[in-house]
Amino acid sequence: MKLGYQLAIAGVGVAALATLPSWGSAVLVQFGTSALILAVLAQSWNIIGGYTGYSSFGNSVFYGLGGYGVAIGMVQYQWPFAAGLALGIFLALAFAFLIGLPVLRLRGHYFAIATLGLAVVMTAIVSNLEIAGRNIGLIMPLVKGDTWFYEGSLALLAVTTLAVAWISRSRFGFGLIAIRENEGAASVMGVNTTLYKVLAFALCSVFTAIAGGIHAYWITFLDPESAFDIGLNVKMIIMAVFGGPGTVFGPILGAFVLSAISEVLASKLTSLASIFFGVVIVVAVIFMPRGFADLVRRFHQSGWRYFQENIRAHSV
Amino acid sequence: MGAALNLQLLWQIIVNGVLLGGLYALMALGLVLIWGVLNIVNLAHGALIMLGAYAGYYLFTGLGIDPFAALPLSMLVLFLIGYGIQRGILNLVIRGPMFNTLLITFGLEVVITYLAQVIFSADFRTVNPPYAGSNFELLGATVPLVRMLAFVLALGLTLVLWLFLEHTRIGRGIRATAQNLVAARLYGVNPRRIYALTFGLGSALAGAAGTLYGVVSQINPYIGGALTAKSFAIAIIGGLDNSLNVVVGGLFLGIVEALTALYIGPTYTDVVSFGILVLVLIVRPTGLLGRTA
Repeated sequence: MKLGYQLAIAGVGVAALATLPSWGSAVLVQFGTSALILAVLAQSWNIIGGYTGYSSFGNSVFYGLGGYGVAIGMVQYQWPFAAGLALGIFLALAFAFLIGLPVLRLRGHYFAIATLGLAVVMTAIVSNLEIAGRNIGLIMPLVKGDTWFYEGSLALLAVTTLAVAWISRSRFGFGLIAIRENEGAASVMGVNTTLYKVLAFALCSVFTAIAGGIHAYWITFLDPESAFDIGLNVKMIIMAVFGGPGTVFGPILGAFVLSAISEVLASKLTSLASIFFGVVIVVAVIFMPRGFADLVRRFHQSGWRYFQENIRAHSV
Repeated sequence: MGAALNLQLLWQIIVNGVLLGGLYALMALGLVLIWGVLNIVNLAHGALIMLGAYAGYYLFTGLGIDPFAALPLSMLVLFLIGYGIQRGILNLVIRGPMFNTLLITFGLEVVITYLAQVIFSADFRTVNPPYAGSNFELLGATVPLVRMLAFVLALGLTLVLWLFLEHTRIGRGIRATAQNLVAARLYGVNPRRIYALTFGLGSALAGAAGTLYGVVSQINPYIGGALTAKSFAIAIIGGLDNSLNVVVGGLFLGIVEALTALYIGPTYTDVVSFGILVLVLIVRPTGLLGRTA
C-alpha cells in the first residue's frame, strides 16, 4: 500500500481517537494518554534505533530533561507550561549535540552501554542539584482536565509520525538507512555520517523531551528515579522492536498492543503481569525478530513456516 | 597528628575499596566471558548474581552449610540454569541483530527477577555465619574477616578461570570459538555445546559472586539491575580481551568508589564511576588495558 493511503487512513484514525474524551470514561482517557505518550517515545526511538541502527539507551535522558525543564520552569520560576517545555527542549537538544558528537562515534554494544552509562550519570547528577529538588523531586501545580493532556499527546504522536513518514521518504532518511546497513559504505557514497547521526539524535531528542514534559505536567510530580528511568527506555525499545523497527507505523502498533496487554494484566497480579511481560519479550524476539509489521507482511506468503524460517536464520 | 589521622583514614578507605573491588571483579568476570565469546551483552547477569545470593542464603539457613563451603554447590546450580538458558533459548537467536539479543536477555532479567519475588518474597535477607562480626588489623586498617575471605576467593576463582581457558581442551575450544566460529567448527568444535558451556560457566561465576555478595551485603530480588550496571563499568574499564584485566577494572572501581564517597560525598559515587565508564568508552573503546583498535 502506498504511504499516502496509509497516512490518509492514519488521519481518519487520529480523528476518531480525538473524539475519545467526549464518550470514553475517565479511566479510558487516562489509559489512552499513557499509551499515546509511550507511542511517541517508541516512535522517537525508531528514528535513532530503527532507521539509523543505533540502539540508544539514552532516550530516557531526553525524556527526563524535558520533564525537568517543565518542572524547574514552573516550580522555581513560576513560568507558564510552554516556557518550561521550551527550556526542556533546549536542554535535550544541547545534550543531543554535545554528547551525541563523541558518543555516536561508538558502534553496536559500545554505543548502547555508553548511553546506558549516561542515563545513570544524569540520574546521579540531578539527584544532587538543589534547583531540581535533589532526590526528593519537584511537585508542580495541579491542573484539572485529562482531556487537554490526551489531545496534546495525540497531536504530538501525529507530528512525530509525520516526521518519521518524511524520514522514510527523504534523502535524509535514505542516508540514515544507509548508515544502518553499512556505515563505511554510506560514508564512501558521500553521506556525511556524523552530521546525519547527530541530526537524527537531535530530532528524536525533541519529540522525546516534549513527551517527557507533557507527562511530568500531567503527573504533577517528578523525581530523578522516575524521570531518567532506564526501564522506560527499555520499554520504548521493546515497543518499537515488537511493532517493527524502521517502519512508519510499527512502533505505534507495538506501543498500543503492549500497553493494552500490560493494562489488562496489571489489574490482576502485578508480579505475574511482569513475568508475563518478560515472557512476551522472549517469545517475540525468538519468533518474530523483525517485528509485527514484518509478520503481517510475510505471514500470508509463508504461513506457519514464517516462524521456523526466523529461528533457522538466527540460531546456531 | 591531623595529617597522620588523615593518612590512616585514607589507608583504611583504600583497603575497603580493594576488598570490595575483588568482589566486583568476580561479578564482572562472567559478564566479560559471555560477552567476549558469545557477543551477548547479558542484561540478566545481575539477576543471575541475585540467584547465586539466594542459593547461598537457602543453603545456609535451610541446610546449615557454611556460605563459603556452599560456593561449589551454588555454582553448580547456576551453571545448570545458565546452560539451560543458552541451550534452550539464546542459541535460537544468537545470530540475530544485536538489539534482539540485548532485548531477550532483558526479558529474561524481568522473568527471573519477578519469579524470585514470587518465590523468595521481596524481604531483605542477610546471611550471618557465627564469625560474621570478627575482623583483624592490617597495618593499622581494620579488615572484616568475611570481606577478606570473599576477596581471596574472588581472586582465586578469577585465576582458576584464566588457567582453565588457557590450559584445558574445553578452554581452548571456547577461545577458538570466540576468535573465529567457522574455523573452530572446521576443527570439530560443536558451537551449540560450547556456547551453552560458556554461558553456564559465566552463570556459575555470577553464582559464586552472588553467594559472596550475600555474605557481605543485604540481598533482595531487585539487586540485579544495579549489579549489571556495575559489571558493565568494570568490563569496559578493564576491556574484554583478558580475564585478568577484569581484576584491574574491579579494583579500580572499588577504590574510586571508596575515595569518591569519602572526599566528594556518597551520593556522587554513581556520577564518578559511570562518568569514567562513558569517558573510557569515548577515549578508548577497547578498555583502558585493551588492545588498541
